[in-house]
Amino acid sequence: MSAIQIIFWFLSALAIVSALMVLISKNPVHSVLWLIMVFFAISGHYILLNAQFLAIVNLIVYAGAIMVLFLFVIMLMNLNNESEPQKNVWMRLAGAVSGGCLLMILVSLVRQAIEINNKVAEMKVGDIGLIGNLGKALFKDYLVPFEISSVLFLSAMVGAIVIGKKN
Amino acid sequence: MLNDFLILMKQELVITIIIFILLFIKIGSKDWKNESLLKLINVLLLLNVVFSFIGNQEGVLFNEMFRTNDLISLEKGILSLGTLIISLSSYSWLQNHKHVAEFYMLLLSTLLGMFLMISGGHLIMFYLGLELSTIPLAAIANFDLDKRKSSEAAFKLIISSAFSSGLLLFGISLVYGTTGTLLFSELAQTLTGTPIQIFAFILLFAGFAFKISVVPFHLWTADVYEGAPVAVTSYLSVISKGAVLFVFVSVLYGAFKPLATTWYNMLFILSVLTIIVGNLFAIRQNNLKRFLAFSSIAQVGFILIGVSGSSQTGTASVIYFILVYIFSNLAAFGVISFISAVTGKETIDDYKALYKTNPFLSWVITIALFSLAGVPPTAGFFGKYFLLMAGTGIAGSKGLIIWIIIAALNLVISFYYYLRVVKAIFMDANETPIQKLSVPFLPKLAMIICVAGIVLTGLFSFIYEYIFSLSNGF
Repeated sequence: MSAIQIIFWFLSALAIVSALMVLISKNPVHSVLWLIMVFFAISGHYILLNAQFLAIVNLIVYAGAIMVLFLFVIMLMNLNNESEPQKNVWMRLAGAVSGGCLLMILVSLVRQAIEINNKVAEMKVGDIGLIGNLGKALFKDYLVPFEISSVLFLSAMVGAIVIGKKN
Repeated sequence: MLNDFLILMKQELVITIIIFILLFIKIGSKDWKNESLLKLINVLLLLNVVFSFIGNQEGVLFNEMFRTNDLISLEKGILSLGTLIISLSSYSWLQNHKHVAEFYMLLLSTLLGMFLMISGGHLIMFYLGLELSTIPLAAIANFDLDKRKSSEAAFKLIISSAFSSGLLLFGISLVYGTTGTLLFSELAQTLTGTPIQIFAFILLFAGFAFKISVVPFHLWTADVYEGAPVAVTSYLSVISKGAVLFVFVSVLYGAFKPLATTWYNMLFILSVLTIIVGNLFAIRQNNLKRFLAFSSIAQVGFILIGVSGSSQTGTASVIYFILVYIFSNLAAFGVISFISAVTGKETIDDYKALYKTNPFLSWVITIALFSLAGVPPTAGFFGKYFLLMAGTGIAGSKGLIIWIIIAALNLVISFYYYLRVVKAIFMDANETPIQKLSVPFLPKLAMIICVAGIVLTGLFSFIYEYIFSLSNGF
């Protein structure tokens, strides 16, 4: 096993375990901390695929900004162990059954997927995740969607200001 | 290149210009009176309707990211017309509102989003258009700023639309992962119907179904419609649904043509569920906004029958029905919006003996309800007829007959609850009916346009024939 493979398996295991811990932890703050762990593991995968810029953006935006927002919300709503709502048994059962069905479908999908069978990810050779190429794609091929998203932000800001304004 | 850009994107550019005019009015130093501002905006919207019907050309721009043809221009024209009618009929509500300019900025940016979504030839364009057409809507759903229900509506709308966007994006990423392209024209060739692609398509379909409130995904509809201001409710139920349905048809018939059997079966199950659940819940409602919410769910079920036709008739019947639906639903909402703005009354019981005091309003809402139910002289009958005809396929060759029978039986059930409102208006006695109201000019104009639309689109066959000549199936 080469070094890259060892890192890959380590990061994958870390991501899955942390994701499970996000769900299992009773304390919301612990969940958020485990979620940060998930993002770190995924950023590690990006670096393995030679997409350094994406890795950094993932860390700054998700593990940094969005997690701070999460913590703010948890702090403002004062969530903790006691305030967690108790769901009734039937709800849990229905959730388990439908979630289990979805899981089964996903597993069988991946097993039957002819598109990805016997294909190996290309480590260290792809260059689409580098900042120069990403910039070129964004401002050449995807210029129109980029401009539309600016209109989207403008209107979202106008909406937020109107709602938040004091009368 | 620049010429092409100006001509082909004309409809989008006009809307962008109006948005910027409003922006400059807002940040300018002059204080506008609400009345004059509303008049200016309505004139601009009228110009927008005129511009969107004349001088359209076909073509593609930006490597097929943006495409337009006569059918797409017609769809955009229909949406512009609907927006103008809503703007006219919400005059009474906006007259006393503090944020008129912002309201229209947000409203028009959602319209811009719908235009881009309809014209998009790429899943990214489609996704951004969809977001642009929902996020500002959530903001204006909160525009009854001192009502808690309005905020609740906005919150539910944004949470459910965020969830559906999540499903949609997961689907899009799986499609990209398995085909390596997101262009509709290339997807139609590269999709083969492997299990992952079917799963991705189901996620995409769920995203669509959320927006048009097909039954397992309809739970947000009634609460949002009840809480939001009536102008926004009518916009949500007619314009935004219509736009998503236009795209739905073109995406199913275009990009996802290889998965036709999958979506035919899905449409069958979902449309039967939608019609039945929508009808059963509509019977129980007493608040008129909730009533119209469930009736609009049932109508979408009928539209899905037309979509399943996958022929030229399929496309044409869906577009024709949405045109008719815009007129009928907006007439009903126009009356409800006006009465709710002036008296605050919204339940069916309040409308008892409305005919004694307000014959004009009673007739408008009655014709609208007849058209929604599908009573023959109105256009609603022909709309439903064409949808069912498209569903049976050409000469009954490919449709499921049992499906058509269920739909026809449900048509009868729907008569019951539509006519219940008519009965309350004309026949029931009431000690304290709504007092006599004088309708201002602009809302009256909107109602007259709607009623004329209901009658004329039904009587003149060239409208359907024109839509039919532009449509295409496969």
